[in-house]
Amino acid sequence: MTKKESHSPRAEIMARVRQNLAAVTTVDAVTRKSAAEETLHSGVRGPQPGMAGDLVERFMQKVESMSSTTGRIVRREDLPQAVAHYLGENGLGGDAVISQDLAALDWKGAGLAVEARGAVNADPVGITTCYCAIAETGTLMMVSRPETPPTLSLLPETHVALVMPENIVPSLEDAFFRLRRDFSAMPPAVNFISGPSRTADIEQTIVLGAHGPCRVHVILGA
Amino acid sequence: MESQALFFRERAAEKACDPRVQKTLQHVRPLFVGKRKKGMQDLAELGMDFDKLQQSAQKIRDRVVKNLDVWLELFEAQAQATGAEVLWARDGAEVARLVVELAQENGVKKVVKSKSMLSEEADLNAALAAAGVESIETDLGEYIVQIAGEAPSHIIAPAVHKTKEEVADLFVQHHGLPRQNDITALAREARGVLRQHFLSADMGISGANFLVAETGSAVLVTNEGNGRMVTTLPRLHVVVAGIEKIIPNLEDLATLLRLLPRSATGQGISNYVSILTGRPPLEANASGVEGPQRMVFILVDNGRAGLLGTEFDSMLRCIRCGACMNHCPVYNSIGGHAYGWVYPGPMGSVLTPLYTSLKDAQDLPQATTGCNQCAAVCPVGIPLPELMRALRRRAVETGLRPWSERLAYKLWAWAATHPVFYRWGVRRAVRYLKWLAGGEEYIRVLGMAPGWTFGRDLKAPLGKSFQEMWADRKG
Repeated sequence: MTKKESHSPRAEIMARVRQNLAAVTTVDAVTRKSAAEETLHSGVRGPQPGMAGDLVERFMQKVESMSSTTGRIVRREDLPQAVAHYLGENGLGGDAVISQDLAALDWKGAGLAVEARGAVNADPVGITTCYCAIAETGTLMMVSRPETPPTLSLLPETHVALVMPENIVPSLEDAFFRLRRDFSAMPPAVNFISGPSRTADIEQTIVLGAHGPCRVHVILGA
Repeated sequence: MESQALFFRERAAEKACDPRVQKTLQHVRPLFVGKRKKGMQDLAELGMDFDKLQQSAQKIRDRVVKNLDVWLELFEAQAQATGAEVLWARDGAEVARLVVELAQENGVKKVVKSKSMLSEEADLNAALAAAGVESIETDLGEYIVQIAGEAPSHIIAPAVHKTKEEVADLFVQHHGLPRQNDITALAREARGVLRQHFLSADMGISGANFLVAETGSAVLVTNEGNGRMVTTLPRLHVVVAGIEKIIPNLEDLATLLRLLPRSATGQGISNYVSILTGRPPLEANASGVEGPQRMVFILVDNGRAGLLGTEFDSMLRCIRCGACMNHCPVYNSIGGHAYGWVYPGPMGSVLTPLYTSLKDAQDLPQATTGCNQCAAVCPVGIPLPELMRALRRRAVETGLRPWSERLAYKLWAWAATHPVFYRWGVRRAVRYLKWLAGGEEYIRVLGMAPGWTFGRDLKAPLGKSFQEMWADRKG
């Protein structure tokens, strides 16, 4: 170790931490580190939530309780029509950006002009699938990948998400279990979304549509 | 941020008499307390017990705090393995220096920040401004206090002391747009103004609610979505986090996420939770995945390591939910600004003396009713009243208290251990106080200690001590 390294901020902080811990622990650092490494990947869960009833119905209820709206379709091909109906009903126009995995659907036939790409500021509507959804909290779990850009659920004022019932899991831990199974490395961003963005920073009064979407519409697929 | 805790007594007195401060405090207190209560009901509906969850959370935090050296190594190794960089800062000034250097090296002209109390410790905005870098707070509450030139008064609701009229005044002054009078329109206006900043910033600075050792990630919990903007749009993302923020793995994150938003705002989960992880620079350029090209962690000590191995190490469990201040009768009487540094309420009364100076901040741990509400609602079981008591003891032991107070306690201790004298003294005192009340029910001005009756009246005694009345009854 050079002189400079021994006086580096890292070395100083670590020395301070070790010295102060030494006053209260008799176990050496090597033993403590291997114990820590074991907990790192132990997968041991804390207290788990109990959820009675149908998982899918609970998820949809929770979604609505957090100020999102919901819809249902019976076939994947019906998604463009369902979205067109929702946008029309709310006067939200016919332009949207979509994630790559929805590009094969017939959007034109539903009267919508879509592009499969990341969103820019001017895009009014973002339409996405979601990696998985959590019944405990009514949460969408989004993973940033080239085909599912995170801006789609962030920049547009309206976010429409397709949730497949087989992707609804009971708890956060179940979602993490899937994530570990499907990805060898963490994606750069894993985003959990629970309703439209909100703020209560002025007089503790809740306003929907802070910086992210003002509207979230969740469509349950089949 | 320079601590002003030395002036706590004066400021507390001032805030307690300020009708504007009192009005906002009275407005928000039931909201905060009510929201948490609802959050706890929601927990019960899931068949979950707050006490059990609290015990688990405490264990998770203790596991890291008691072995912080090895967890720091594990987190650092994993973060670097993913492609992020890890820098270390001994104090706030070093944080500011590192961030300014990063900004200059990368030709950064504009920084967008999501809320980070640690960056308040480091006075980061002032340092960036001095270096000619524009730094914009993007949490609505932080943005409001930034343009007002003030400090946050609450750790999760920084502008809780501002009325909507004051916010409207500030917006007219800073945005040059027509005045908006309702809260929705004000929030809408801020969205438009801040959106342009998000899109044009070169660097995003965030704090971290948690650092996950398993994955080398930073976790951000937000409602507004500004945390996502700050960590998605600019090309460089800097995470400024205290060394104590580490948690072992994603299961632990799940447990803590069941407690943090519920304790803070009563929400079962906040609108956004983001787990952000670095990636190799080459991949960042080529993969086509949106997000910053470079991620840098700055791990900060600034006093934290000094708590390890001491009676105060439980304070390092704190997950910054704000429940202790929301339930504190002292905070709710004086507001956050009286405390004089970054952290108000019970957690601030412990942290400020420990991170700045006990000598200057010794009045903070004195300002407690001992009601224990803070400890009862704390999601990680920090015994806050005990820690405040330990700080008071330390102040006495190190000779920081005034001689008059020490003398008074010595006299009291003598009297309390001499029952005959004590009984005689109490009998004299109740007769004196009855005489002082002059037949009135209350004493308006206490002769020997007029300060005590400055803001309240003292109920007049009946003229006999409890022991005398007890003896009369028996007789």
